[in-house]
Amino acid sequence: MAHAESAHAVLPVPAPFTGRQDVDPEVVRELLSHFTFDDYEEAQELILSALQEVNEHFGWVSPEAAQIVAEHLNTTVNRVFGLLTFYADFRTEPRGHHHMLICHGMACYVMGSQALVQEMQGGFGIDDGETTADEQVSIQVVNGCLGVCDLAPVVKLDDEYFGPVTAEELTSLLNRAIGGQRAMREKGVSNGPRPTK
Amino acid sequence: MVHARPSEHLTRLETQADYVAFRAQAQARWKDLWEGSRTVVSVGVGSSSIAKGALDVLDTCRAELGNAAVVREVSGNGAFWMEPWIEIRRPGEPPVVYGPLQAADVTAVFNGERDDLAVGVRNSEPLRNIPSLNEHPFFRDQLQIISRNAGVIEPDSIEDAIARGAYDGYFKVLFEMSAEEAIAEVTAANVRGRGGGGFPAGIKWESGRKARVTPKFVVCNSHEGEPNVYKDRHLHECDPHRILEGILIACVVCGAERGYNYIGGEYPLAIRRFRKAVADAERIGLIGKNILGTGHDIAFRIRTGGGAYICGEASAMMFSVMGVRGQPRTKPPRSVEEGLWKRPTIANNTETLANIPDIIVNGGEWYAGLGTEGSKGTKLMTVQGPLARHGVVEVEMGMTLRKLFDDIYGGMAEGRTFKGVQTGGVSAGPLKDEHLDIPVDFDSLGDVGGMLGSGGWVIFDESVNVVDFARYLTAFNRYESCSKCVPCRLGNPALVEILDRIRFGRGSMDDLTLIQRTSKHIIELSLCGLGQVAPVPLIGMIEHFPEDFEHAVKYGTMTAPPLPLAAD
Repeated sequence: MAHAESAHAVLPVPAPFTGRQDVDPEVVRELLSHFTFDDYEEAQELILSALQEVNEHFGWVSPEAAQIVAEHLNTTVNRVFGLLTFYADFRTEPRGHHHMLICHGMACYVMGSQALVQEMQGGFGIDDGETTADEQVSIQVVNGCLGVCDLAPVVKLDDEYFGPVTAEELTSLLNRAIGGQRAMREKGVSNGPRPTK
Repeated sequence: MVHARPSEHLTRLETQADYVAFRAQAQARWKDLWEGSRTVVSVGVGSSSIAKGALDVLDTCRAELGNAAVVREVSGNGAFWMEPWIEIRRPGEPPVVYGPLQAADVTAVFNGERDDLAVGVRNSEPLRNIPSLNEHPFFRDQLQIISRNAGVIEPDSIEDAIARGAYDGYFKVLFEMSAEEAIAEVTAANVRGRGGGGFPAGIKWESGRKARVTPKFVVCNSHEGEPNVYKDRHLHECDPHRILEGILIACVVCGAERGYNYIGGEYPLAIRRFRKAVADAERIGLIGKNILGTGHDIAFRIRTGGGAYICGEASAMMFSVMGVRGQPRTKPPRSVEEGLWKRPTIANNTETLANIPDIIVNGGEWYAGLGTEGSKGTKLMTVQGPLARHGVVEVEMGMTLRKLFDDIYGGMAEGRTFKGVQTGGVSAGPLKDEHLDIPVDFDSLGDVGGMLGSGGWVIFDESVNVVDFARYLTAFNRYESCSKCVPCRLGNPALVEILDRIRFGRGSMDDLTLIQRTSKHIIELSLCGLGQVAPVPLIGMIEHFPEDFEHAVKYGTMTAPPLPLAAD
């Protein structure tokens, strides 16, 4: 089990989540203050970067934050939401205390990541991008690649990488993260039907 | 996103002479580092080694050896199997690479007590029974040109890069060479697009240069969303200045006033290192107004993607840079006529641009001497799956897959048997054992349904059910479809449904015909490259493993019905 120190300043990732982050409009304005532009075209180019900044800082982009971004960069909130729903990196719902990435790239697939995804869906009753019922862990299935293929299948919990991970290990990892409680969520109760993408 | 700060000690260089002096200074510093009296400890830090604790190793080296040695943070060298590694150069000895090790081993290794951890010595002769690193099978058959600085320079140090020859090509096109000559070299080199398309860069540059509308732009496409390729990220992490130099050369030669690099947002370390490279280059005046007194003005912007595979397609990427949904458009007009902000735009893949500096310095003829008839030069390859070794390698075009897999990657891991290899990311079919002796270049694999693409190969063994694997590949394309045009948006989900029916044991032989028909629709009617190749892996799987599909039609592959969920 390899492990990287989260306090290290090398990666521009936000500090580990200590709780669900409510989006403070003042902080958003401060984050956006260095997104300066000379003309309309440059402002348009900055929208995605600005949204990424907010998304990285809070773990999600709230409707209010989207409005602030739109106003700052001379665009409409509709346009901003068009981007938020198109690009997979953005979340429009808050994250849990912990954030888990399950790599489902092809290398992890051939080494058995399907079992991890099934464990997440069947065992914990949550789907890609959802959060356990106790709001402790958000899980995202990475369709691209985490790039650590010699550890495949890889799971990243907060800033720590684990691999190769079996379904049992994923269960214990998740149980540890959610404090020993096996949080089951009845499917469809809280989220409603989702469109297949 | 953290905005990089340039190194404080750098100052703006105003003239050609300033730059030459700066380069001489950097070279002297480099020489002193390797020939001086201090011990040098280099730690390979890349996103793959960070996952295995390289930052702990680096911290330990800084804390415990900081007084006794110069501790450097270099990048990974592509050899994942020896990470985390450190390289120790003791005065009077060639550098020795040790790995894999953990933070606890550092002191013992430094004191020379753990020579059992040594992988090799960076020298042609062995040292104290430690063999030469270049004799290791992983490195022996590689030809490292664009990745030759991997694990050697500090990616955050522009001086290291310049001492190792960065910006020599840029210097040449600024002062010694006309744009026509530079394009002639690139055309003579016949360097083809490394992103998968294989379009000759020289032709693209020629039409970019001839375009009359101004301003013009150069965009480097560093978005690789394929689920098995990370060569561009590796290149960004180990040698960001090489990519930047390629873009700047393209700007000068094509007369573009602004360069862009579009990087996938999921690569924080690559973005951070590239930002630092740009900040340093701006600081010393290689980017900006009146570069080194030549009168050239080049601005530079870094844009990051948001995790959409389709943004690897050139027109979609440009829409993404412009801050809209990345959905491809019909062509013509091609992007060199009407690209970013409706201006002529030269869009190249990262690896293509990374080849440019060496072509400019050594000449197109030198480059054309490497590789095969139709595909020149080298190619970064990533091979994954149950193999003995993992990593990113650079090999000359025309190597057979068998040599690549068996020699460089050490063959299959213990207890695994080769079943097939998926080629070309999610854009081509699989190959079987009998195809492995074909020399690999852009054109050779088409006859058997494979593709070089961006150089990603995924090997699978008997534990993988090919019907499930085909479903996975189709589901990936379903998920990543941008939903602009109907055949792709509705066709891929239809294919997944048919496959799920088969997997659940409710299929019939007619379903295989239906797959062929639906696939034909998607291939012929889709707008962009993603749609046109989306069903190709599935068709290839059926072609190469028909008995598996027939078995699945009879018995299914799963015991429970597929969950109607988004993820997988």
